[in-house]
Amino acid sequence: MSDEQQQNAAVLLAREMGLTDAAIERRQKIVGLEPADLVRIAAIRDIVLPRAEAYTDGFFGHLSSLEEARTLLSSKPLLGKARQLKAEHLAALVSGEYGSRYVLQRIQLGLLYAAARLDTRVFLGAFHHLLHDIGADIIRHSTGDADERFEQFMSLKKVAFFDIGIIVDVLVFERERVIRQQQEAIRELSTPVLQIRDRLLLLPIIGVIDTHRARLITESLLVAIRENRAKAVVMDVTGVAAIDSKVANHIMQTVSAARLMGAAVIVTGISSAVAQSLVALGIEMTKMTTVGDLQGGLEEAEQMLGLRVVSDGDALKFEAR
Amino acid sequence: MAATILKQGSVLIASIQAALSDRELIELRDAFAERVGRFRSRGVIVDVTALDVLDSFATRTLRDIAYTAKLRGATAVVVGIQPDVAFAMVQLGLSLDGILTALDLEEGMSLLSGIEEDRRRAR
Repeated sequence: MSDEQQQNAAVLLAREMGLTDAAIERRQKIVGLEPADLVRIAAIRDIVLPRAEAYTDGFFGHLSSLEEARTLLSSKPLLGKARQLKAEHLAALVSGEYGSRYVLQRIQLGLLYAAARLDTRVFLGAFHHLLHDIGADIIRHSTGDADERFEQFMSLKKVAFFDIGIIVDVLVFERERVIRQQQEAIRELSTPVLQIRDRLLLLPIIGVIDTHRARLITESLLVAIRENRAKAVVMDVTGVAAIDSKVANHIMQTVSAARLMGAAVIVTGISSAVAQSLVALGIEMTKMTTVGDLQGGLEEAEQMLGLRVVSDGDALKFEAR
Repeated sequence: MAATILKQGSVLIASIQAALSDRELIELRDAFAERVGRFRSRGVIVDVTALDVLDSFATRTLRDIAYTAKLRGATAVVVGIQPDVAFAMVQLGLSLDGILTALDLEEGMSLLSGIEEDRRRAR
């Protein structure tokens, strides 16, 4: 990935994570960053800047001693980029500017860690090591009394914790991305509306029905009813493991919406366990047509539409073909 | 009035072309009640294809039209409810229980002629 692409990815992610200027300001407030801190950080700038190279070495030196960071360390391009970003980070850390530009740099570094599958705890360990190095130098070389030096270090630590907040969020967000993509895929895949006869639709429902999915199912069914001019719909819930009052309500809403468009809905595949729990919950589904299994539902629907399936009485013909 | 009632054989058809005010809805209901008797109609169709909203009052009036028609011996069918409208109605808990519905005018007509056929055969 080129530099520009990486920057674009960071901008995109900042938007996805909702890191607006207001959110960044809020994060600064959370760590307690104040104007007085900026003054103290300015005072230690000349201590940190010349040693940036050494700190970077220390950071990656610590990582190289850890088995968990091998992916990052073993990839030359990743490591090179990470070192470059880390050096930029150290310069920015004492710059006194912690706005959107700074946050974008942090996100870029976070994305790189995510790409190298660096765990949060490994990152935290290395970061702590880095802070220790900087802190030791501040205590050793800074002007002012011991209290002042401690305060200088604490001011820097506020920025450091601000950084940690962003990096950890990026790492978690990236890890959850896979989950979000899978959820999206499940949602898209699992609401097919199939036409199986002229004016007869089949709606197989598999998995968990939540409010969002129920809405998608209903919407796609209604659109399909209009497009296919359907008069009957067989909704098969064999694949729905549990039906509680909420899910039952969703199903009933779908049925009534389809009815408003002039299509009759037959619900099939309510297992004995589900039926018993519906009865135990006192959920009445009396307004709906229900048939035991999918086959029965299809037969019922065919009858409704005036269709008749006739066997030609020669089952062997199929084999001969 | 944004809805005109047309007579097509033994069926009365009202096609609603634009959102109706509450007063216009009541006028439509009254006009239906009167004409069902005058034309000795056996069926009544209300076409709401052009509507993108059906609120509680409109739903109630449609129900009133259907029940009134039934009392005067005609079967009522509401046709052309759009997917979005149907979804919004169930979300709001509005229903047209006991009233026939069909996809569009054509479906509504064939539904009514089917019912009429059954009736004749039963006689």
